[in-house]
Amino acid sequence: MIDLLWDNLDYAASMVLFCIGLYAVITRNNLIKKFMGLNIMETAIFAFIVALGVVDGGNAPIMGEGAAKPFINPLPQALILTGIVVAVSTTALALSLVIRIWRQCGTIEADELREAE
Amino acid sequence: MTSWPPLLVLFVLTPLVGAVLTPAVSDASGRRSWEWALGTMLLTSAMAGALIMRVLDEGPFSYVVGGWVAPYGIELRFDEFSAFVAVVCLLGLLAVIFSRHYARDALAPGRIPYYYTLLLLNMTGMIGFIVTGDLFNLYVFMEILSLSAYALVAISGEKTAEMAAFKYLVMGAVSSLSILFGVGLLYALTGSLNMADVTGRLAGSAEAPLVLAFAALTLGFMVKSALFPLHIWLPDAHAIAPSPVSAVLSGLVVKVGILGMLRVYQIAYGSGAIDLSGLNLMLTWLGAISIVMGAFFAVFQDDIKMMLAYSTISNIGYIVMGLGLASPYSLIGASVHVFNHALIKATLFLGAGALIHQTGRRTLTGLAGVGRSMPLTTAAVSIGAISIVGIPPTAGFLCKWYIALGAMQAGEPLFAVALVFGALLIFVYYIRMVNAFYFRKPQEAGAPAVHEAPATMLVPVLILAALCLVMGVLGRLPLSFIEPAVTRLLAPLGGG
Amino acid sequence: MKRALTLVLLVALAAVLLNAVADLPPHGSPDTPAYTHVGAYYLENGSEETGSENIVTSIILNYRGFDTNGEVTVIVTALMAVIAVLTGVQDTGTQPDAEVIHVAPSVVVRFIVRVLAPFILVFAVYVILNGHVTPGGGFQGGTMLGALAIALTLVLGERESSRLLPQRSLRVIQVIAPLTFVAVGLAGLFIWGDYLFFPRDEKLRGFAEAMLVLIEAGIGIGGAVVFARVFRLMGGRQ
Repeated sequence: MIDLLWDNLDYAASMVLFCIGLYAVITRNNLIKKFMGLNIMETAIFAFIVALGVVDGGNAPIMGEGAAKPFINPLPQALILTGIVVAVSTTALALSLVIRIWRQCGTIEADELREAE
Repeated sequence: MTSWPPLLVLFVLTPLVGAVLTPAVSDASGRRSWEWALGTMLLTSAMAGALIMRVLDEGPFSYVVGGWVAPYGIELRFDEFSAFVAVVCLLGLLAVIFSRHYARDALAPGRIPYYYTLLLLNMTGMIGFIVTGDLFNLYVFMEILSLSAYALVAISGEKTAEMAAFKYLVMGAVSSLSILFGVGLLYALTGSLNMADVTGRLAGSAEAPLVLAFAALTLGFMVKSALFPLHIWLPDAHAIAPSPVSAVLSGLVVKVGILGMLRVYQIAYGSGAIDLSGLNLMLTWLGAISIVMGAFFAVFQDDIKMMLAYSTISNIGYIVMGLGLASPYSLIGASVHVFNHALIKATLFLGAGALIHQTGRRTLTGLAGVGRSMPLTTAAVSIGAISIVGIPPTAGFLCKWYIALGAMQAGEPLFAVALVFGALLIFVYYIRMVNAFYFRKPQEAGAPAVHEAPATMLVPVLILAALCLVMGVLGRLPLSFIEPAVTRLLAPLGGG
Repeated sequence: MKRALTLVLLVALAAVLLNAVADLPPHGSPDTPAYTHVGAYYLENGSEETGSENIVTSIILNYRGFDTNGEVTVIVTALMAVIAVLTGVQDTGTQPDAEVIHVAPSVVVRFIVRVLAPFILVFAVYVILNGHVTPGGGFQGGTMLGALAIALTLVLGERESSRLLPQRSLRVIQVIAPLTFVAVGLAGLFIWGDYLFFPRDEKLRGFAEAMLVLIEAGIGIGGAVVFARVFRLMGGRQ
């Protein structure tokens, strides 16, 4: 188990990062910090998927002169490029909601907002 | 039926182009945006009709974008479950029609063009989600759908709208990540993202990651469809959103989670690589708990939209229980309830929207006696209420009956009891509502004289109410329509 | 109490996750399914079939072009959502706008941004146009353009910076990315019969490249406008 985990250290690291992010989402009171936790989770999943494409000693998958095998798997990179854009979009919307909440209620602490309701 | 032009891809693109162009064709206060959105939805609905004719004709078909071959290109696929797009287009169309006066009165003028844009983008996401045959493409369309849904909740201008939207966003984003993680794991195990290809290559994978992949996908879709105890985002979001949006969210968007689950089942059963009986048992229990808890909370609501929102949780429970029981009858019942509940809940939310719009009140106490001044709308809402309880001959009856039969078939009569108990609770709270409409006197003497809503609001509500009855009478038709898909789904299990 | 409980639950979750990823095909090995199936096909044939030396770009624009089509729609959705949330309503809340503090940036910042601006611009255009041979592409270049617009918004006055975005055609420009994508895709549909089809013939390679550059430029400009617009909206401007 530990040996296997050591071989898959990249995956293990992103799992730990994922849990750290989730911890922040659940326990933080400040809406922006909550959302930063979510960004950490996003990064963890992206790192996990990009790590799926790594091959030992691999080069960037750009053909042409001087290109030498092995190349790393290009597909996860292409997927995560899309994933990043999605994450940015979600962040933009979340921040604009936070701006509105701040203007309306004068606070972005979750417990104070609950009282205000 | 010719295969060119590839209607399947144009079907996704039409609402997309219509949506992004809405602000450009309308002026700042939203003139012409209604007409534009209406035209887009009409065109999209026509395409949906053509696609469903084709699936009736020749069974499931697919199209690979860009002239590549699957699994290297992205495959779009249309099967019997995809026929849900018919309801999507119908509700989308009616929600747009309903919005004509509603949006003008309820929303800030500057927001109106963007309201229609987001509504159409929501449709785009939903249609793309339903017709895609590629796991990552599914995620992309799910995000279009989710982002527009968060914004549509926030757009209403109610005091706590932004907070409800933020809560929805955080839960939604976590569930999306869970789904993306599941997709990543499936990719790690098979090297492919095409659903059919993944299904074929899954056998012999290591067990622990496989179980985790399906757990992550299920968890994500369960949040999207607001299954107890992951429902906490739903009541606020659905109650606060503008009424047409509530109808779309409650009728369609939560069903996307269910359709996602059906896709997961297609992969899991088809590959035979994993035994889902543990998951099914859990889903059956959570479904049963959802039925009872959702109905229980609904009984105590005075706010009519809040009540309808809790009733959605209860009905999702029926569907999930049907999925979890995994017998042919229960699956057929659950799949058809996905369609029928969409119609019923849209009737109720649009009807409630019309009542709130005309009277300015949203509590049952405030709406007392409204049956006298708005007879047509309250009649439509009452038909919706009877349907959702599941009294024959309305749309809700046959699917619940099938789910109960399925529980018997699976040898779990206990769950049939839960189903009936839930129906009784639902009966109680809709009796409260109908009672308030018809048999209680208006509370305040000085209540403004109200009359029926304008035609653009009344007609969609009446159409939907009529459909609730028609679907009940035609009950067998959708059941026999969905049957081949369910048979195919269960075939690898040998149960058929 | 809540924190301790969360911590316990998350440690349990982490154990489950770690147990599962330990059983995944070994990291970095060339024999994993992820490396030998679809990915291998792209590496083998990508350059030849799409004419793009950068295989990541050939996946983004050719094999999985429909994903990118959805992706540009996602950022437009985000922009529409931000506009819908932030505009059109009077704030009834307790936070008066007067509390927003305007601080003019220092001379150093202003000078450096002005000096760097042309170089950032050239680099962004280079990245957009060379996405098919080097790392880069529409999104990366568009982000640079957007960052440039944001930096200029910070140092220029309100009047000058509002001119960075073409006001009159803004409602079209902000959705230019999905529009060019669909237009080019439909061109493929009507000329060769498949949505997002790019001719693979050696003779028509130049034509295919023109189509790809058009898409990249659309994504770049559209992306930049979205980023700049979101930034300005969050700052309370139009």
